[in-house]
Amino acid sequence: MKSSLVIACATLLAPCLAAAHHSAARFDLAIRDRMVAGIVKEFKPANPHTKIVLEITDEKGTRDVEFEGHSLNNYYRAGWREGMVNVGDKITLNAAPTKDGSDGGYALGVIAANGTRF
Amino acid sequence: MRPSTVVAKLGAALLGLCVAGAALAAERPDFTGVWGNYRAPGAGAPQRGAAQAALPLRAEAKAKVDAYHALVDPSGDTPGGFCLGTGMPGSMLGSGGYPMEIVQHDNMILVVFEAHAEIRRIYLGARHDEADLFPDRNGYSHGRWEGDKLIVETTHLKEAVDQARYPHSDQATIVEEYTLATNDDGSKVLTSKMTLTDPKFYTQPITAEKKWQYQPGVRLLPYECDEPTWEEHLEGLRQH
Repeated sequence: MKSSLVIACATLLAPCLAAAHHSAARFDLAIRDRMVAGIVKEFKPANPHTKIVLEITDEKGTRDVEFEGHSLNNYYRAGWREGMVNVGDKITLNAAPTKDGSDGGYALGVIAANGTRF
Repeated sequence: MRPSTVVAKLGAALLGLCVAGAALAAERPDFTGVWGNYRAPGAGAPQRGAAQAALPLRAEAKAKVDAYHALVDPSGDTPGGFCLGTGMPGSMLGSGGYPMEIVQHDNMILVVFEAHAEIRRIYLGARHDEADLFPDRNGYSHGRWEGDKLIVETTHLKEAVDQARYPHSDQATIVEEYTLATNDDGSKVLTSKMTLTDPKFYTQPITAEKKWQYQPGVRLLPYECDEPTWEEHLEGLRQH
């Protein structure tokens, strides 16, 4: 069930990306193997999209970066549950990058601090 | 004829009507339940961006649709992104990959799409007064049983250039034919064959087919879409 839902989101991305006041067009969804790790500053599953803010440290320095993600409903069906991701957790996102190379991306999947994937 | 004979014959006739009615009802399949996108056994995931056949749009309609896409394509904005339901025929042709639930009554079939908690009501009894109807993104749907087939006609649609696949005018009529089948593995499949007739937008009727698979044990989830906007608004009020 989980895998089929993730596939459904990945293949039917337009609806999964139904993001209020944001756009799918700014993400390069052809790149699907980019992994980004960071400390959770905000994780708000919602419909039509989820908001994730991570504190990221890399060659550019340490800063807060905002990501979009699948809908609450899609994350729930993929295995996310309330309390699974908390502020301060170190998590990893499978995040398609922005087309213009700016910070952020679209979270195709999440690996929670306890290793749970959704 | 003696009164007792009349009563007996009347009773037999009524019994016959009841039996005939029960037989008709028995022919009708029950669509009640939660349904998800159908994928044939062993079939791979659907491919994104697959080429679509060009639609036979009239020039004026094509200009409207092109203007809409010129407006939103650069940003990728969609109605769903702004918490608006899909509307017909997109709702019944996929509803964004989310499941739908059908609740079947004798006089109405309720279709609840998880995405945006969008609802279609398919009335099976007498049509409502024309004066009570007005255009809507899902229109007004009236159905009838033809044996084990459900035929649904949808009218009173709003013009919708924002339909992802089949934009239409306010003159569009959609006829759907629903049938229920059982796969070799016992799973139930609901098939809808749709014909969209819209002389204002198209030079010929459009046909499409959609299959849904029964999903026992799955429940529809709530789909609050405006909650983040409301919370942002509240936060804005707190800041002032």
